[in-house]
Amino acid sequence: MLEYRIDRHSGVATYVQIVQQTKQALRLGHLEPGDKLPTAREVVEATAINPNTVLKAYRELEREGLVEARRGLGTFVRRGLGAAPADSPLNAELDGWTAKAREAGLDRDDVAALFTAVLDKHFPTQFPEQTAATQHSQGDPS
Amino acid sequence: MTDTALEAAALGKRFGRLRRSAGWALRDCSFALPAGRVCAVVGPNGAGKSTLLALAAGLLAPTEGTLSVLGEPVGQARARVGFVAQDKPLYPQLTVAETLRMGGDLNPGRWDARAAERIVAGGDLDPKARVRSLSGGQRTRVALALALGKRPELLLLDEPMADLDPLARHELMGVLMSQAAQHGTTIVMSSHVVAELEDSCDHLLLIGGGRVRLAGEIDALLETHARVSAAADTDLAPHTVVESRTTGRQLTALIRPAAPLPADWRPGTPSLEELVLSYLRNPEAQTTAPGTPAKSPEESAV
Amino acid sequence: MTTLTPPAPGTPHLTRWLIRLHRPALLFWTAVVVTVSGVLLWLGGPLADASAAAWRAYDACQASACRYDQAAIIHYKDVYQYATIAVLAAPFLVAAWAGAALTGREVETGTARLAWTQSSSPLRWFASRLALPAAVVTAGTGLLVVLHHLAWSAGKGRIGTLKSWYDLPTFYANGPVVVALALAGLVAGALAGLLRRGSLPALVAGLGFTGLLWYAVQLVMPHLWTTSTSVVALKRFAPTGGGLGVDEGIVTATGAHVSNLTCGNSENDECLAFYDKFDAVGWYRDYHPASHYWPLQLTATALVLALTALLTLLAFRLLHRETGLRKGRSA
Repeated sequence: MLEYRIDRHSGVATYVQIVQQTKQALRLGHLEPGDKLPTAREVVEATAINPNTVLKAYRELEREGLVEARRGLGTFVRRGLGAAPADSPLNAELDGWTAKAREAGLDRDDVAALFTAVLDKHFPTQFPEQTAATQHSQGDPS
Repeated sequence: MTDTALEAAALGKRFGRLRRSAGWALRDCSFALPAGRVCAVVGPNGAGKSTLLALAAGLLAPTEGTLSVLGEPVGQARARVGFVAQDKPLYPQLTVAETLRMGGDLNPGRWDARAAERIVAGGDLDPKARVRSLSGGQRTRVALALALGKRPELLLLDEPMADLDPLARHELMGVLMSQAAQHGTTIVMSSHVVAELEDSCDHLLLIGGGRVRLAGEIDALLETHARVSAAADTDLAPHTVVESRTTGRQLTALIRPAAPLPADWRPGTPSLEELVLSYLRNPEAQTTAPGTPAKSPEESAV
Repeated sequence: MTTLTPPAPGTPHLTRWLIRLHRPALLFWTAVVVTVSGVLLWLGGPLADASAAAWRAYDACQASACRYDQAAIIHYKDVYQYATIAVLAAPFLVAAWAGAALTGREVETGTARLAWTQSSSPLRWFASRLALPAAVVTAGTGLLVVLHHLAWSAGKGRIGTLKSWYDLPTFYANGPVVVALALAGLVAGALAGLLRRGSLPALVAGLGFTGLLWYAVQLVMPHLWTTSTSVVALKRFAPTGGGLGVDEGIVTATGAHVSNLTCGNSENDECLAFYDKFDAVGWYRDYHPASHYWPLQLTATALVLALTALLTLLAFRLLHRETGLRKGRSA
């Protein structure tokens, strides 16, 4: 069962954190089509956040076509995300590369900086949920 | 179920009939809280939060105005309302188990013994322990169990988390939220610490000086306010200014925009805490119209 | 009840929890009643018999060589006195408890609010707080009064130093006025508890009220029933008329009664001059004979009970006004 970790001080809206973490799980293959998301009750019991926040996140995921709510049954994954499940060769390569970086004496921040730089080079646009987060913190003037 | 959990119209409460002016704890309060919300009642100490909750719980009679609870005049919905007072009163001579049995006896037909026992069990409490031997946090747990055991449709909590360590606070807030998710319970809880309630509440009732300063959905309130910074001589009209401050050549302000804002004001959404503090620091700031239109009720819990 | 009862099966068991919460007080009261009852039975039985035997021995021998059990006489008298005080203390005991524990402490510590936010209204809560204690107090005090009356009656005509029916402690301990006063103490204490918001002030207020009420009853009681009047000529030493005296004075030649104007012995020259001056021809005395015992007891009881009812009403109105059960005030 997926467990959400809410970081109150991240500056990212709570419902966005849930959306992001769900997508992360979809990308890594921890969630697959047909899997059931935790109920709002289960999420709020563990995280102490407002139930409507969870529902808002689930609606967002539903809007993006990733999950579907089945009345009385729960919310289920409709499709996975990306092509990089946790056991893919890409994962193994990245794992090997990271191990090498560590052997070379790089610490966590060095690796993250390096990875982000390469990431930005190959994917110049941001992920949609990060856009949503930025929007939230800056507000909508209109 | 009724759509409105709590509705106040020109509600006022005065203590002590002899003093003419000084005794108003609450005055001119008008607001509506839709059912199914988790509402934070926020304000400084002595602002009237406890008075408001006691009025809603049917413990005090309003001096003026009206208050309806779950669609009924206050006091008549007693069986459907749960209340936990700030000092968590319990009978010291009873054991924990007896206290819960009393809850069952005093709330026949409503009592959920398992739910109450689960909350108590979460605290590693000996059911045979006398209430007088419990710590503050343990008392809070028993008091909450008593209030939740009657399966209230409206749960009123006065400073519920004050006595709890962070772990118990998180756990019990989780219990409350799960209650709201599962049964659609409307929860109203007061605190003078905004951060304590920010993640759990979706509705705000800001009380200051015995009056309602701000009421409505938190998201909507945040969206309708903006934090701006501009040159010191900027005219903020026609926007409603809640608070403004000039430091050197820089003007920073919290406003309620009446029109799209120019980009060079660098507008941003305030945090809930900023919003609350701005209103409390500026008692003269114009408040929102009473009974801010609420969003349509959320669909039922998943 | 003015509140809407919830559409739930069964009614809240307020009484069961009242008993549980006040179990120590209930046990204490039971112990007091049992002990004092035991003493009264002992007093009316063996002690009265021993004292009566001693009095028979005393009456039989008028001569110098007289042997009688003086200790038995004194013992009966002492125990009677203590037992009477114990019976008369009941209203104060009840008032103190009602003020301090029944409502005062609950209002003070907030448990009253806890009770009011369960499924029953504050008025039902208060009603349950009064009903059961009232029954227990009536039963307990009633039993003591009956036993005291029996213990006192056992000495009638047999014990020379037996208190008269109109001796005030005896009068009250022998009849239902004390039961009514205990109920008044209960309600007064409970009301004080609601009003004073502290168990100690409520205790003091409950006790004070009960004391004042008793004093007032004492002042009013003799006037609750028409008195008998006995008139005698000045030839006698003093006015006559046995029983609870209300008023006495001289009867003038015109037949008028002048209160509080007596000198005493009419054989005394000074006094004769005094009576001549006022044209006195006799003495009168307004009093209650023994036959007025029940009328006096019952009217005083009725008066106290009426006052208790009024206090009860007042307490309910106060609670009603304070806790917001207003009808027809829906938004």
